[in-house]
Amino acid sequence: MSTHAHAPAAAALSKAAAEKKYPARMPRHGNAGAYRIIVIGLLAIAVLAPVGLIIYQSFLTAAFFMPRAQFGLDAYRYVFTDKNFYKALGTTAVFSFGMVAIAVPLGGLLAFLITRTDIKFKRLLEILVLVPMFISSIVLAFGYTVSVGPTGFVSLFVRDIIGVVPWNIYSLPGMILIAGLSHVPHVYLYVSAAMRNLPSDLEEAARTAGASVWQVSRDVTLPMVLPALIFAAALNILLGFETFGIPLVLGDPNGIMVLTTYIYKLTTLFGTPTYQLMAVVAVVLVLITLPLVWMQRKLLRNARKYAALGGKGARVATLKLGGSGQTVALSIIGLWLFVSVVLPIGGITVRAFVDAWGEGVSLWNQLTLSNFGRLLEVPSLYNGIINTILLSVVGGAAAVAIYLAVGLAGHRNWGMSNTVLDYIVLLPRALPGLVIGLAFFWVFLFVPLLTPLRPTLISLFVAYLVVGLSYGLRLLQGTLIQVAPELEESARTTGATIGRTWKDVVIPIVRPGLAGAWALIMIIFLREYATGVYLMGAGTEVIGSLMVSLLQTGAMNTIAALALISIVLTGAGLALALRLGAKIHD
Amino acid sequence: MSRHIWAGSAALAATAAVLSAFVVPAAAQEVPAGYPADYADLVAKAKEEGTVSIFTSTDAAQSQKLQDGFTKKYGISIAYNDLGTNGTYNQVISEAAASQTTADVVWSSAMDLQMTLVQDGYAAEYASPEAENVPDWANYKNMLYATTVEPIGVIYNTNALSEDKLPKTYADMITFLKDNKDSLQGKVATFDPEKSGSGFLHHSNDARNRDDFWDLAKAMGENGAKIYSSSGGMKETVVSGENVIAINIIGSYALDWVKESPNLGAHFFSDYTPAFSRLALITKDAPHPNAAKLFVDYALSAEGQALLAEGGLPSVRKDVTSGFNIDTLNERVGGGLKPIAVDEGVLEYMDQMKRVQFLNDWKSALGR
Repeated sequence: MSTHAHAPAAAALSKAAAEKKYPARMPRHGNAGAYRIIVIGLLAIAVLAPVGLIIYQSFLTAAFFMPRAQFGLDAYRYVFTDKNFYKALGTTAVFSFGMVAIAVPLGGLLAFLITRTDIKFKRLLEILVLVPMFISSIVLAFGYTVSVGPTGFVSLFVRDIIGVVPWNIYSLPGMILIAGLSHVPHVYLYVSAAMRNLPSDLEEAARTAGASVWQVSRDVTLPMVLPALIFAAALNILLGFETFGIPLVLGDPNGIMVLTTYIYKLTTLFGTPTYQLMAVVAVVLVLITLPLVWMQRKLLRNARKYAALGGKGARVATLKLGGSGQTVALSIIGLWLFVSVVLPIGGITVRAFVDAWGEGVSLWNQLTLSNFGRLLEVPSLYNGIINTILLSVVGGAAAVAIYLAVGLAGHRNWGMSNTVLDYIVLLPRALPGLVIGLAFFWVFLFVPLLTPLRPTLISLFVAYLVVGLSYGLRLLQGTLIQVAPELEESARTTGATIGRTWKDVVIPIVRPGLAGAWALIMIIFLREYATGVYLMGAGTEVIGSLMVSLLQTGAMNTIAALALISIVLTGAGLALALRLGAKIHD
Repeated sequence: MSRHIWAGSAALAATAAVLSAFVVPAAAQEVPAGYPADYADLVAKAKEEGTVSIFTSTDAAQSQKLQDGFTKKYGISIAYNDLGTNGTYNQVISEAAASQTTADVVWSSAMDLQMTLVQDGYAAEYASPEAENVPDWANYKNMLYATTVEPIGVIYNTNALSEDKLPKTYADMITFLKDNKDSLQGKVATFDPEKSGSGFLHHSNDARNRDDFWDLAKAMGENGAKIYSSSGGMKETVVSGENVIAINIIGSYALDWVKESPNLGAHFFSDYTPAFSRLALITKDAPHPNAAKLFVDYALSAEGQALLAEGGLPSVRKDVTSGFNIDTLNERVGGGLKPIAVDEGVLEYMDQMKRVQFLNDWKSALGR
């Protein structure tokens, strides 16, 4: 499978580099300029409409549609003088940096072991290490409470042996550890891609000179992939700022609050929802993100420069780990997989088949299928399952088509429109799904031509499309960049228009990659939960948002059953990705 | 577009066709006893509308029997939007502002938000023929009807505590918490009024009615109480033993849970058991006003109330025999049932200053 090959950012060449690569003789004229501008423009509307609405809302004194709403800075004044806001901001920063401190070294190590050494079961591991990324954090957190919570079955087992439970997941360190471990795949994806492109002669030279595998990794490989590591760190800080599920489930009971749960609280704090305050916090999140995006862009260029060192066709030889090396490496990976995959999924699975668990409760006596029975009895629940499948499979395919259209618009494109594209793509990443969903709800309610679409799955699809943009587009860009420019150039030289070149050269070549991308986007749509909370209604329920909605009343039996179904569906999607991905590989 | 939406509209069209063919003449037979004679007209018009859209905070599983009963009786389909309390409020005011109202009935447990909708003019007046069968406190100016009465109580882990050791009265609970600090430390759960509208309602109603509420809050704080945003979430931790006791949770859920869960007990104070209600209103611009009226009547009728009670939502009537009705519930909780009246009183803490003050007091009582 080659998810790792096309997932990482393969964005813009710098303007100078691009002009060097495509000197002036490559005609700007006929380079589909109009198409590029229209597509990027449409995308900009889709992204900026909700974002603009949020910014506008933040400067009002009430909901924008209320007659008494006036311009004013009251909302900013409230948020910036609220000590809870600063507390949440501080906690969020600690949380994000802590998460990065765990995820980056571990992700880098995994990438090194899997791409640069002869570790066993490589093909299998390449898939397994990605699994935590595909489980929604709300399911993850919920699973952990059942397995390693204060009375989780693993905790009770450990307590029976050593007398105490030596951990507490309802604490900031516990949350950081869990979030850090579950974000390892995000780092792995980017770093492994960079490492894969490194020539191995430098490492071989070091080995020949007598350095150990670990010395090589530290003194040779690490410095070369440093930009990719820093880049992955920046991305994870971003992800840390918008994490919702883990703080909601694990932080809440003890009053540990981050910015996203602070927003959530603002919906009830004043009795009626205070949209302007939510909007202010969302704007703050965007403002924090922009410099990170800027930094990412800068780093990305460097990362590619580094990776380009080897040039094409450099032989990649693997480092020999040796017997004990294999054992140590596999143990590390095994332990990590146990903690970040087996524990949460085990927890969810157990919970889905019992009615009660914990101290003094025999799980065997509690075994039941009634949690699933309920799903069949209640139309909104099984509708939710069908809609989720529909949205992921059909919506996922449509999303690939759209991302491809956008990808082509940005393909071998440079200058202003591409810079715009880069920022637009990452904007939605900065906003909590809950807020984006709410903004889209309003867009579909107040924009006349769109109103008939609101009670359909299309409104959800559009919101998902925008939320999944950064990940999906990078997948497509990664695939497109694999097409050797010579092929396109020769088509152009023989007189093909750029449209024809795309249709007859680029798209046929990337078609297998599209199938893999489809499977991965399917999974991303499957695990989405916050975006649909405000958008779904009768007939448009989706699993993830149903879980959030059910969490309000606390129908844990149903939530667990839905969570397990979503994991099973994700597994099916992953298996599909594997099959499709395997084709790309051979 | 999802498949079942098409299927749904096809079914609707079919229903409508069937109705116009031969059901309307038969409608006269369906007027329930004691209803005005012209009720048949309402039924006929409602059937013509064919569907009713409900915005609610009630999980579909709890009201499925009511929905099925209604659809079976009248052949009117229900578009059931389970949006949570805030989602419900948000959609209602947003839709009205965009002149795109799709909600016919708003049915939510957030008594304060429901009353706010009424005060802000989103509700239509409708004198239900069932109004005489519910207590006076359950009908607010023919605009807002209480459909359930759900006690607020305590759940506990039976491995850690036994019924006879539990405090009988509200005041005893304060002493109990103070006396058992060692064994209860970090194992007391309660609602988070900042994140949960229900939690706010339960606590603030206590503060309105009990001078010693703040003593209770302080006692919980001294025990390092943990706060949750749902009753179900608290039940999970009490069953598992993570917490020993949860205070001010939704007791009607608890009465259901104890039937199935091992080591879980439900407990109520004999002198003081407040109860909240799920309130129903018909929107002013309801696209299906007749079907909406029919649904509200059905939800308040003996038949509808019995179906709600079977689903675990106790009836506000006295003549319902399945599940709990308001009288049998009062017996079960020890005679101290005090339903929160559906009146302007529930708006007391919608005043921002008062609300902020309450939450600040709450946090300092809890030591946060």
